Amino acid sequence: MTAPRLGLAARWRHLPREARDTLFLLGVIAWTVLPHVSHLPLWCSVLTAAVLLWRTRLALTNAPLPGRWVLIAVLALAAGLTLWSFRSIFGKEPGVTLAVVLMALKTLELRARRDAFVVFFLGFFIVLTHFLFSQSLLVAVAMLASVWGLLTALVLAHMPVGQPSLRHASRLALRTALLGAPVMVLLFVLFPRMGPLWGVPQDGLVKTGLSNTMRMGSVAEIAIDDSIALRVRFLGAAPAPETLYFRGPVLSNFDGRTWTAGYGASGPAREPLRLNGAPIEYELTAEPTRLFLLPTLEATTAIEPIDGLNSNRRDNLSWGTDRLVQGRVRFKATAHTRFEHGPLQRNTSLRENVQLPPGYNPRTLAWARELGDHPRMANADAPALARAVMQHIATAGFTYTLAPGVYGETNERASLDEFWLDRKEGFCEHFAAAFVVIMRALSVPARVVTGFQGADAAPVDGFYIVRQSHAHAWAEYWVEGQGWVRADPTAAVAPDRIVRSRNLVPAPGLVAGAMANVNPELMAQLRASWELLNNRWNQWVLNYSRGQQLDLLKNIGFDSPSWQDVALLLIGILSGLALLGAVWAWWDRHRQDPWARQAQQMRRSLQALGLPALPHDPPRALASQVQERYGPLGAAVASCLLTLERQRYGPTPLAHPSAQWLRALRGEVRALRRSAQHAPR
Amino acid sequence: MSSSPTASRLYDQLNPAAAVRKRFRAWWQARLPRTDTLLLTQRNIYILPTRAGLMFGVTLIVLLLASINYQLSLGYVLTFLLAGSGAVSMHITHNTLRGLTLHLRPPTAVFANTPALLDVTLTSAGRARFGIGLGLESSPGKAVAWTDVPEGGQSSAQVSFVPAQRGRHAVPTIQIETRFPLGLFRAWSVWRPAAQVLVYPKLEQPAAPLPPAHAVPGGPAARRSSDGGEVEGVRSYRRGDPLKMVLWKKAARTLETSGELVTRDTSASVQHQLWLDWAECAGLAPEDRLSRLATWVLAANRAGAEHGLRLPGFEIAPAQGEAQRKHCLEALALWT
Repeated sequence: MTAPRLGLAARWRHLPREARDTLFLLGVIAWTVLPHVSHLPLWCSVLTAAVLLWRTRLALTNAPLPGRWVLIAVLALAAGLTLWSFRSIFGKEPGVTLAVVLMALKTLELRARRDAFVVFFLGFFIVLTHFLFSQSLLVAVAMLASVWGLLTALVLAHMPVGQPSLRHASRLALRTALLGAPVMVLLFVLFPRMGPLWGVPQDGLVKTGLSNTMRMGSVAEIAIDDSIALRVRFLGAAPAPETLYFRGPVLSNFDGRTWTAGYGASGPAREPLRLNGAPIEYELTAEPTRLFLLPTLEATTAIEPIDGLNSNRRDNLSWGTDRLVQGRVRFKATAHTRFEHGPLQRNTSLRENVQLPPGYNPRTLAWARELGDHPRMANADAPALARAVMQHIATAGFTYTLAPGVYGETNERASLDEFWLDRKEGFCEHFAAAFVVIMRALSVPARVVTGFQGADAAPVDGFYIVRQSHAHAWAEYWVEGQGWVRADPTAAVAPDRIVRSRNLVPAPGLVAGAMANVNPELMAQLRASWELLNNRWNQWVLNYSRGQQLDLLKNIGFDSPSWQDVALLLIGILSGLALLGAVWAWWDRHRQDPWARQAQQMRRSLQALGLPALPHDPPRALASQVQERYGPLGAAVASCLLTLERQRYGPTPLAHPSAQWLRALRGEVRALRRSAQHAPR
Repeated sequence: MSSSPTASRLYDQLNPAAAVRKRFRAWWQARLPRTDTLLLTQRNIYILPTRAGLMFGVTLIVLLLASINYQLSLGYVLTFLLAGSGAVSMHITHNTLRGLTLHLRPPTAVFANTPALLDVTLTSAGRARFGIGLGLESSPGKAVAWTDVPEGGQSSAQVSFVPAQRGRHAVPTIQIETRFPLGLFRAWSVWRPAAQVLVYPKLEQPAAPLPPAHAVPGGPAARRSSDGGEVEGVRSYRRGDPLKMVLWKKAARTLETSGELVTRDTSASVQHQLWLDWAECAGLAPEDRLSRLATWVLAANRAGAEHGLRLPGFEIAPAQGEAQRKHCLEALALWT
């Protein structure tokens, strides 16, 4: 660039209106498309950037736009590349890719207002596609800026005269959006939430959640899925967060790769359950589990009957159902956090809980044998052995991480070996599985329990929220004379995960790491506030769903709200608002300048006397009319009119017409009529 | 959409709906009172979504469906934010016109086939208003004059139309519209100004030479010219006139327009009068005669000659100056 640095602002100011508007729109489009770069194939980003830069050049040089054939050729190229990249042009990612390319190409066609509108609508659509990938606070803020920019460009397009400043147009756009915000809030709160209309192709996110199976080394990275799994409200005092274990499938069978449920998972419970302490009453709303199972607080002893769903307690303490739980379920139940269950004496039901597949993870088994053969463990019982294993997990340099990578890639039969002895990085599933295998190697019956642990802190409305990200796996081992005992090996490595029920964040990036070194306190503070903000965001915006909607209605005073009630309420409020608007419009129509209204009333009064009192007659002319017609009788009315002249046009005029004056005039007019009737004419 | 004007006219003629629409519009407009000052209120502003507004609605539905299907809370937020802004934009569009006062300045007279300018003053008592367009109702979308009205101030806009015939014409119906701020709605109002525009006959092209001036036979104002040096009047150049009698200053001016030389009329007769006579234009159609007379009035006025106008059964006594010109042209415009 030969232009001096100072000249840049001046050049922007002296751009022709059309070029400036085009450049602004291109900037908004670039900003809107930018966050997609990480999801799109490289060619798409490059092509989009090239087209936008080309259009910028055309705008700066005021050159003619390319012909239609160029566009069609580029579009065909983009469609071909999409097909090549994704093997399809349908679906989420190919669709987004094509939309982005189309948006960029449309800018090369920005001739008429109609073309501009297509760009705006595509822009809003692309804003929405971002939410398919992430709905975080940052994305929301970035897209809010996009929407503002698009609205500003739209406003600019409808200010055809002169050169309105961008600041002015953006202020007008902001005003429009802010005035629309109450409508947005109302619709957001009350628009009936419904399930997906058609099958959502499951591409992209790996959903965490409960499953009947657990496969070692299959999950490379758990997506941080913040969607809600269940909501709990305690009817009495809430138990401590570290006791909030929600029991899901219990997995006893291990074939070396996959954990599956065992015999105890079917049929009603026969094993005894010994309860201690006071019962806890709670109400639970579960999102669909898509299993024959309800997640329940440990240990739930009774569930109130649920419409259309039969449930009962299994031997392994989970609550099975007779149907697949496909919809949201709400029930009241009773639980005890202090309990003992399972056989007191060794019996056949325990046999499956000590079995290990031969030929798998030999090094771990050898490690376990070594532990058992240690003189210190000569006559240790099951709790002592468990303590030893936990001690090892706590001290041997294990790391809790949500991105442990894939285990068993090189040797399928040694995935646990790799975790336990080599890499030592994993999350709850890894720790629980390793613990159970080692206990079994020591001849202690043990099994994996999956479910949820913990809940979001500080419930605002009394409902604790348990998210999919609270999904957890822990272990149980059997102790003679006591039954099954819970062991949570994850607590040994990451107590934070259990006590505060918070997910560990993935390893910090470069900047965050540097900051943590410089000022760890500030960093911790920042992180805490960010998490608080994020949590609020998740609770209030992202997870606002039908459950919360119905709860809200309950608070307002509906007895058993349904989505029809929500719709009715929404329609009612909207019609109420429309009615208010109509009333205002009616009132506004009758609104008049107060002086004009007074003049009208005055004329009507004088017309009753039989005077023409035309609208253009000033008070003085009316006064002389009165005098002419009535002579001395009309003096009072005439002087009243002259008073009005003084009030309105005198050296110190009144700001508003005086009501007394009108009353006085009416009185005088009445008196005049009476005296005129009696007076001989 | 048809592209050429003839094709669109044909389309209008063949389309029964167009005829009905035209009848309806005529009936409906006839109900509007004619006024030169119009205050736009709820009663005379109409508002409907534009095509872009309908597209916006479709976009909102698509966004809503996507939000429902993918269970996107932020998608709902976006959809409802746009819906709210759209609803607000409807009010803003309506508000842009509401409370605006339109006033038409008295239009000046024009010749037929030349554009007549309608100068409209827009006054806003309150807020500033943007993107207000004025156009003729008969040619919607075409030739719209855009203007902004400042806060508590005035601005003006001109629309023009080309009257085809002489006479006193009512000002055509004016349409005032706005799509500000988002273009999703179009608010408009229809205004029938009370003012009339006087249209003179169309000018003859090329202009015929002025007829010769005649001496007034024995009139009381007759005077004898002493030495031929006195100036009694002017007339068109005739072959054989001495060059020194040509009024060069005047000629220079007239040469630009009609290409006519003017000479001093110092002939023996005392009083020379230029009569612009209907009978002089024999052989022309009545309207063409009026055109020629109008052209002559202009030429005579330009030449500064005293001229009178004679129409069948109607006569304007000779005089000169701007008032005479106006008088003659008005007579020609309104003569039946």
